Amino acid sequence: MILLGEFALWVALPVSIWGIVLAFVGGHRKRGDLVLSAERSVYAVFFLLCLTSLGIILAFVGEHYEYRYVWGYSSRELETYFKVTGLWAGQRGSLVFWVLLLALFSSIAVFQNRRRNREFMPSVVGVLLTITAFFLGVLLFADVNPFERLPFTPANGQGLNPQLQNYWMTIHPPTLYLGFTSFSVPFAFGVAALITGKTDSRWLVVTRRWTLLSWFFLTNGIIFGMRWAYEELGWGGYWFWDPVENASLLPWLTATAFLHSVMIQEHRGMLKMWNLSLVSLTFLLTIFATFLTRSGLIESVHSFAQNTRIAYIFLAFLGVATMACLLLILWRKDDLRAERTIESFLSRESAFLMNNLILLGSAFAVLWGTLFPLISEGVAGTKVAVGPAFFNRVNIPIGLVLLALTGIGPVIAWRKATRRNLERNFVSPLLMAAAVVAGLMIAGMRGFYALATFAICGFVLTILATEFWKGTRARARIEGEGLGRAFLHLIARNRRRWGGYIVHVGIVLMFAGFAGASFHTEIDRSVEPGDQIRAASPYGHEYVLTYQGLSSSRTPNMWQWVALMDVSRDGRRLGTITAEQRIYSTADQPIREVGIRSTPLEDVYVILAGVEDFEGAVLNESSAQGAVFQVLVRPLVGWIWYGGLVITLGSLIALWPGAGGPARRKVQATPASARLAKV
Amino acid sequence: MKNSRFYIGLVGVAMVVTFLIWTGFDKAMVYYLTPVELMAKVAEDDTFHDIGVKVSGRVVKGSYQAEGAFEHHFSVVDLAREDASFRVEYRDILPDTFSDETEVVIEGRFRRDGVFEATTVLTKCGSRYEAMPEEMAG
Repeated sequence: MILLGEFALWVALPVSIWGIVLAFVGGHRKRGDLVLSAERSVYAVFFLLCLTSLGIILAFVGEHYEYRYVWGYSSRELETYFKVTGLWAGQRGSLVFWVLLLALFSSIAVFQNRRRNREFMPSVVGVLLTITAFFLGVLLFADVNPFERLPFTPANGQGLNPQLQNYWMTIHPPTLYLGFTSFSVPFAFGVAALITGKTDSRWLVVTRRWTLLSWFFLTNGIIFGMRWAYEELGWGGYWFWDPVENASLLPWLTATAFLHSVMIQEHRGMLKMWNLSLVSLTFLLTIFATFLTRSGLIESVHSFAQNTRIAYIFLAFLGVATMACLLLILWRKDDLRAERTIESFLSRESAFLMNNLILLGSAFAVLWGTLFPLISEGVAGTKVAVGPAFFNRVNIPIGLVLLALTGIGPVIAWRKATRRNLERNFVSPLLMAAAVVAGLMIAGMRGFYALATFAICGFVLTILATEFWKGTRARARIEGEGLGRAFLHLIARNRRRWGGYIVHVGIVLMFAGFAGASFHTEIDRSVEPGDQIRAASPYGHEYVLTYQGLSSSRTPNMWQWVALMDVSRDGRRLGTITAEQRIYSTADQPIREVGIRSTPLEDVYVILAGVEDFEGAVLNESSAQGAVFQVLVRPLVGWIWYGGLVITLGSLIALWPGAGGPARRKVQATPASARLAKV
Repeated sequence: MKNSRFYIGLVGVAMVVTFLIWTGFDKAMVYYLTPVELMAKVAEDDTFHDIGVKVSGRVVKGSYQAEGAFEHHFSVVDLAREDASFRVEYRDILPDTFSDETEVVIEGRFRRDGVFEATTVLTKCGSRYEAMPEEMAG
C-alpha cells in the first residue's frame, strides 16, 4: 500500500502534464473532447494523490521508520492521532498535503463547472494543473521525496517536536493550506479571463464564493496559529512578527483587499486591472508563504525546514509566474479600462480604494520588514533585521485607520456622499467614540493607542448596530414581522452584505483584544508550598495565587511535573490553576505547559518556569517542592478568540450555499455585463 | 479636475505609509550578525558595543550555568568557526527548547567587557529533529 502511494506520486506528474497539454491545446483549437480529457486528468491526479497521502499515513501508523520522513517526525510512543497528522508535520509531507488540497479544490471547481462557464475551463484546468505539476516536480526532484528510504531501518523514530504535539498545531497548518490552495481557483479564473479576453466581471461572480472560502480558511488558520502560540509557546503572547507568521499574513492582507475591490468592479465597472493584479498578487503570496515556511530561506524561530535548494526552485517558479501574470495583464491592457471614474473623495468607491491602498501598504511594510535581512545582505553585505517594534510601529496606525473604515465603508454613499448622508450616518457614532474616550479616561485609563482603539471600536459598533437596527425595523414594519424574525430574515435575504457586517463586528472585537496588550502585567517569583504570589489586574482587582505543591507522573510518551496553584480574586476563591513541565521521552529538555484561567475580561496565565529538583519531586520529597513561576495578567485576550468566532459566523453566513440574496439571483438570470449596464 | 481631491488623498495615504516605514526602520533596525562578523565589527568600530545587535550562533556544549530560573550564563559560538565565541548573560526565562548545542538567536548588546548582555534569546527549534541519520547509525 505504501509502495502504491509512492508509485501514485510518480504517476501523478505525467498525468498532470498530459492534462496541461490537452487543456491548452483543446482550448486553443476549441476541441471539447480534449478539454474533457484534461478535466478527467484533474480527477485522476486527485485520486492518485489520495493514494500517496494514504501511503504516507499508513507508513506513520505502521511505524515504518525506514522512511526518512516518518523516522524524522514520529516515534513508537506517539499517540495515533499525531501519527496521522504526521502527514503535514514536516516539509516533505506538507508539500504532498498542499498539492493534495490543490487537487481536491481543482476537482471541485471542474465538477461545479462541468456545464457552466465552459469557455473559461480549458485555461482554468491548464493553470491549476500547472501549479500541481510544479509541486509534484518539486516533490520528486528536489530531494524532498517523502518516500525516501534510509540505508537501514531504525528501531524507533526521532519523535515529533513536543511543541507540535498540540491540538491547535494539528489544525493550524491544514487550515492555512486550505486557504492557500483554494485561492488558486480564483486565480485560475482570473488568468482564464485574461487568456480568453472575457474580462468583464463574470469571472469575479463565478469565483466570489471561492475567494470568500479562501479568506475564511486563511483567517481561521491565522487565528489558530495565534491560539497555538498563546497556549504552547509559553510567553503569554500570540503574535511575534516572525517571518513565518508574516508569511501567512501577507496573502490575507491582499485577499482582504481583493474581497473589497471586487465589489467596486461589480457595482461600478472600475478597477478591472487592479482586481486582476490583486488576484495574481495574492496567489503569488500564497506560494511565497508556502515557500517561506518550508524552505528555510529566512531565519525564523520556527523555521521547520532546512533544505535550501528548494528555495531556489520556488524563487524561479515565483519569478516565472510573476512575469506571466504581468505579461498577460499588459497584453489585455486595452480591455481593462474602467467604465467609470471616481466622482468624489467622499464616496464608497473611494473608501474601498483607501482600504485597498492601506491593506497593500501594510502588506508592503510587512514584506519589506520580513525580507529586509536578505535585501540588506544582498545590497550592503550585512544583515540588518527589524524586530517587532518596526512592525508594530507601522501596522498599529494602519490598523486603526482600517478599523475605522470597517465602519465607514458600509454606510458612506456610492458615487458622492452628500452632507446629509454624512451627518445622518456619522454624528452619533462620533459622539459615541467621544463618550468611550471620556468614560475610559474617567475610569483611569491612559495610553494613546489603547484609547484610540477603543474609541474607534465604539464608533464602528455604533454604525453597524444602527445599520442592523434600521434594516430590522424597516423589515418588521413592511412585512409585519416581529423584530426577532425580521432580524433573521433581513440577514437571510442578503447574506453577503449582512454576513460581511458581522465579520466587521468580529474584527472590532479582535482589535479590542489587541488593545488589551497595552495593559499587560507580569510577576516572576520563586516559591515554596504555601507561599503566595500577588498580581494586580488593570481593573483594580488583586489576584492571590497560593502555591500548593508539585506532583509528578509518567506516561509512555513523557514525564510530567504538575504544579498546583489556588487562585482567589479580591479574597474570593476562584479555583485552581495547574502549570506543568514535561520531559518527552524523545527529547531531553523540559517543555512547559502553561496554565490559563480565562474570563471574558482577562486571563491569568501561569508559567511554571523552573522546578528546583526534578528528581526529588518524582520521589515526592517534601523538601523538593520549590518552583519558579511567572504569573501574567492578560486583559481582553479572550476577545480575540470571540472575535474570531464572530468572524467565522459572519463568513459562514455569507458563504452558505443556496441563493445568496437578491443580488445573486439577478446575476444568474442576466449576463453580468448587462447587469452592469443597468446599474 | 473633479478628482483632484481624491488623488491628493491617495498620495497622502501613500506618503503616510512610506513615512511610517521609514521612521519605523530608523527606530527598529538592528544588525543581524554571526559571531565572526560581530568580532570583526567591534574591532573595526568601537561604537558597536553601544548599539543593539542580533546574533545567531550555537550554544557551546557544557557552557550553560544557571542561577535560579532568572539568571543564565552560557557561551555562544559561530556555526562555522570554533574560535569565535563569547559569554552571554541573560536575565529572564529561557525558552523551553534551549539546551546544549541548540542554535540560538540572541538580541542585546555586546558589552566592552566581552560579555553579551542578551535581552531576548530565541531557539531555532525543529533543527535537531532533522539530524543526519548517518551520524545516528555511526
